[in-house]
Amino acid sequence: MLRLRRFGLTLLAGMLAAWFGGVASPGAANDAGKPQYGGTLNVGPIYITLSALSWDPADFNWKFNHDAGAVYEQLFAADLSKSVHNGGKYSFVNEAYIPPDALRGELAESWEWKQNPLRVEIKLRKGVMFPDKPGIMKSRELTADDVINAYHRLNASPKKIEGYFDYVDKVETTDPHTVVFTFKHFFAEWDYRFGWGYQSAIYPKEVSDAGMADWRHANGSGPFMLTDFVSGNSNTYTKNPIYWDKETIAGTEYKLPFLDKVVYHTIKDEATWIAALRTGKLDILEGVRWQNVDSLKKSAPQLQWHRWLAQAGTFLAMRVDVDGPFKDIRVRRALNMAVNKPEIVSAYYNGNAELFAYPQHPEYGGYFEPLEKMPDSVKELFTYDPEKARKLLAEAGYPNGFSFKVMVCSCNPDHMDLLPLVAAYLEQVGVKIEIQPMEYAAFLSAMTSRTMTAGYFMANGHTNPTTTIRKSFVTAQLWNPSGWSDPAFDQRMEDAYEEPDEGQRQAIVRDLTREILDKAPYIWLPTPYVYTAWWPWVRNYGGELRAGAVRPGPIYARIWIDQDMKKQMGY
Amino acid sequence: MTASADNVLAASPPRARRGPLLDFVVRLFRDKPLGAAGGVICVLFLLCGLFANVLAPYGFNQISPIHRLQPPSLRFLFGTDNLGRDVFSRCIYGAQLSVIIGFCAAGLATAISVAIGVFSGYFRGKFDLIAQRFVDAWMSFPELIVLIVVVSVLGPGMVQIIVVLGLALGIAGSRIVRGAVLSVRESMYIHAARSTGAKTRRVLWRHVLPNVMAPVIVLFTNRVAAAILAESGLSFLGLGVPPPAPTWGSMLSGSGRAYMYQGPWLAMAPGLCLTVVVFSISMFGDALRDLLDPRMRGSR
Amino acid sequence: MQVYITRRLLALIPTLFFASLIVFVTVRLIPGNVIDLMLSQNDISAGKMNRQALEAALGFDQPMHIQYLRWIGGILFSGDLGRSLWHNTPVTEEILQRLPVTFELGLLAMMVALSLAIPIGVYSAVRQDTAADYAMRSFSILMLAVPSFWLGTLVIVFPSIWWGWSPEIQYVPFTRNPIQNLGQMIVPAIILGFGLSAITMRLMRTMMLEVLRQDYIRTAWAKGLSEGLVVMRHALRNAMIPVITLIGLQAPVLIGGAVIMEQIFVIPGMGLLLLEAVGQRDYPVITGVFLVVGLAVVLINLIVDLSYGLLDPKVRYR
Repeated sequence: MLRLRRFGLTLLAGMLAAWFGGVASPGAANDAGKPQYGGTLNVGPIYITLSALSWDPADFNWKFNHDAGAVYEQLFAADLSKSVHNGGKYSFVNEAYIPPDALRGELAESWEWKQNPLRVEIKLRKGVMFPDKPGIMKSRELTADDVINAYHRLNASPKKIEGYFDYVDKVETTDPHTVVFTFKHFFAEWDYRFGWGYQSAIYPKEVSDAGMADWRHANGSGPFMLTDFVSGNSNTYTKNPIYWDKETIAGTEYKLPFLDKVVYHTIKDEATWIAALRTGKLDILEGVRWQNVDSLKKSAPQLQWHRWLAQAGTFLAMRVDVDGPFKDIRVRRALNMAVNKPEIVSAYYNGNAELFAYPQHPEYGGYFEPLEKMPDSVKELFTYDPEKARKLLAEAGYPNGFSFKVMVCSCNPDHMDLLPLVAAYLEQVGVKIEIQPMEYAAFLSAMTSRTMTAGYFMANGHTNPTTTIRKSFVTAQLWNPSGWSDPAFDQRMEDAYEEPDEGQRQAIVRDLTREILDKAPYIWLPTPYVYTAWWPWVRNYGGELRAGAVRPGPIYARIWIDQDMKKQMGY
Repeated sequence: MTASADNVLAASPPRARRGPLLDFVVRLFRDKPLGAAGGVICVLFLLCGLFANVLAPYGFNQISPIHRLQPPSLRFLFGTDNLGRDVFSRCIYGAQLSVIIGFCAAGLATAISVAIGVFSGYFRGKFDLIAQRFVDAWMSFPELIVLIVVVSVLGPGMVQIIVVLGLALGIAGSRIVRGAVLSVRESMYIHAARSTGAKTRRVLWRHVLPNVMAPVIVLFTNRVAAAILAESGLSFLGLGVPPPAPTWGSMLSGSGRAYMYQGPWLAMAPGLCLTVVVFSISMFGDALRDLLDPRMRGSR
Repeated sequence: MQVYITRRLLALIPTLFFASLIVFVTVRLIPGNVIDLMLSQNDISAGKMNRQALEAALGFDQPMHIQYLRWIGGILFSGDLGRSLWHNTPVTEEILQRLPVTFELGLLAMMVALSLAIPIGVYSAVRQDTAADYAMRSFSILMLAVPSFWLGTLVIVFPSIWWGWSPEIQYVPFTRNPIQNLGQMIVPAIILGFGLSAITMRLMRTMMLEVLRQDYIRTAWAKGLSEGLVVMRHALRNAMIPVITLIGLQAPVLIGGAVIMEQIFVIPGMGLLLLEAVGQRDYPVITGVFLVVGLAVVLINLIVDLSYGLLDPKVRYR
């Protein structure tokens, strides 16, 4: 009895200590205290310079889910209970990848794979309601017909990506809450393409009939409703009073969402959004470049921080599809060794970068293999060895070096600074670069029309473990700037896609990654860290960014604001 | 009569024998001290531009990451930027670029303004009508937007920027020249020249042009300042002369803004350079106008 | 006078025609294909079929002159400026949403400029060549010389560090919440206004100087009227001309926007609309905005020219 009492007292003391212990770690801060309803969350999203580009998934616009993902829901979403601040191991910053064990059914209550024919049977949640929308529709339940309609509309869109749903045989419904997808063969990205992907939103037929291009028609089952859209300035979302989902915090179940309003801000100027965060006009700023972190920590010391590795690899692509020095692998490897990558990490990025994080991202679990485990020939590419570089160049027939042109986008200030630095290193081994900056559209067009120069300096998103290899190193892909073409490689990529066993798939992909790193079609460069910052009154949040393909909606639904703390701090 | 006039001239004090240029400089320093100060700074600016290679202690693209973000010191007079480049040297080379861009663009602009203005104002008629409609259309577009579109067509690069600025500023300035030509056209001596059968070309070259020189010179100085400022605005939007070219505008809007907190000297140096030079050119241009404009002479 | 107005209005037609042709062609000369941009949005390579389907959907499969005629036809017969290639919203709607914002900023800037320029210009003229005159003129030139984006950034960054203040970032229309609206607009209006005031002040001063030298002013003095009365009653009226000139000069900014201020102060105006459209090669938006701005500015300039006739009896129109 006494022991129990003492245990109870210790527990109470521990809880009090955690409560008054301050904001030592996001976990401690966010888990203490009882959630409050109300308030407005002002977000500076990760894509802060871009307004909403489309409100219609059939436009196949990559940004749709970011703006509409709080209004429309999908079959699957990330399981946010497994996030780091909740004690799990996932930070959910991946742009479009959800690890299979962090997947949860959103509109799908359960799903089951069946053979002969290969199909997945999805059972939808019951009681998910679309709210009233005057002039468009009356409140009603979401049914399987809505899912079928959404799929068919995507499949029939004139803007559809060619071959996007070729693996699907048919989609049908057996009862109002069951959808069956029958596949021609297994396809590893099936859930990415119509489950939690960029265009996987489920919406009522009434909305698409009225015209989805007009934001005023938007009406979905999600936690928020779109109430205002000022293009070039802000999106305003208001709480959906009949939202179905709940969240359990400290043993109690709460109806979501907590917030009354969420506002996305579109700001084009970095100085402005940093100032807005500093003065509390933004509660969360999802993308802070490392250059600004020190000054923010000094001027706003109460801010909470989360550091994550950028979701894009930076590199200098060398064209192997045109005649020139780059056809020789020795030249490509030499250039890699001529650049002092560790110094770039320490001196240019001031330590805020990782030497090796592309094409696979460390968050990709079994798909990622760290540099230490790589074969020596790959490790060599990440060391600084100008002697060996010169030797290789001489062997390949360029003892006095050579010169080549590099296109770079003037829209990216980091690249505009980094490329001259790379050029300086290359010059030491006799290779001269002529930098050709271009405006974004012209820069991109040069790549799509394959009229670009021998060198092409860019960053490319990881997306997910399979896409990252496929889109950049498979023959004739749009985002394959080096023009890499190897039929054997292409075939193994297809094998990976069709491999239903994840362990096997990971092995194939790791193999492919090793091979392409070794063959060095790019000068592989370090990947910088990015930071997310938020004020301590933003609770139940640990810097998560996406719960689906570019979809932060479910994250905002679970955030609550500690209004008292905010007032106390003077904001 | 001529003989006595000569005698009168011969009898006047030596002071009146000064060449027109020297006379002008004296008047500038005496009557318009601020403008004179501006003029001096302009000359210094020109010298920097011409002898940048000699004056700058380091190269403009001398990258050394070890020396990044150091505050001003004896070794690096204006400090270093995030790539370890000496800001003072970059400012001097920036002066060179500003001189080139400013003077070339202003030269091109003035040439265009004079061409359009003189032909439009002198010949009038259909050419004037159509040309003025075109100038109307041009001037109704916000200047920066026109620049943006044209830069997008031509791509970033120093020559393109000069052409773009020259075109934009030139067409807008033609109005001023045209106005001056219009008033000169009606003057007595033009009528006299034409009635004696002088060829049009001769009238234009010997009578019209010299008499509109005053506003044209002032226009030129204004355009230099405008071109330099416009390039900095384009740099801010990412459309100026591309890095690593150290134009003051791109230094200001690039690393200057990004590191404003850690390295205020990165923004202060080019910002002050820009402001001082443009201010000086404008003051000098103002003083020029006051001194050259016959109407203002009486008012001091 | 009527004949003059009619002639000017008629002259609008070739002007606008030129403008529309120039804009239509120039915009398509810009390198970087909008189809390429759209296709590159997605991960999977765009096959030929996709490209053709997109081109048809956007009307690019027609030859250039058919596209031009369709566009012009749409404007003349149904007032339809087309639809944004990216947002699929009518261009007219996008312009109408941004125009009041830009207009408000321009108007505020003009008010700031005038409230500075008129008193300073008048004082400078009346106290010509004194130290105060020099100081004020120098200050106004200084305002012109400082790059606006630098000033704007300084205003954003340092107050946020020193006093924890930054301007509002969420736009609300003035009618809905005037305080928040002004909280966003007032700083850029002041920065723009300072630059404008420099030009206006000099115009004002020159005009006043000329007027003050006129005979009728000397007569008024000789009659013994107080200086203040002389200045106010006689000189000021004539000096309204620089004000009208200012409106004419400012017209492109009033309608077309001030891109740099809009970018720094998060103002969803016409300038940013155009900048974004150029960046994304959204041809209907670019051409639509140019036309609207062009038309509005030309009309404003016509009104300005006519006002000169009213204000300055020396100006007469054939």
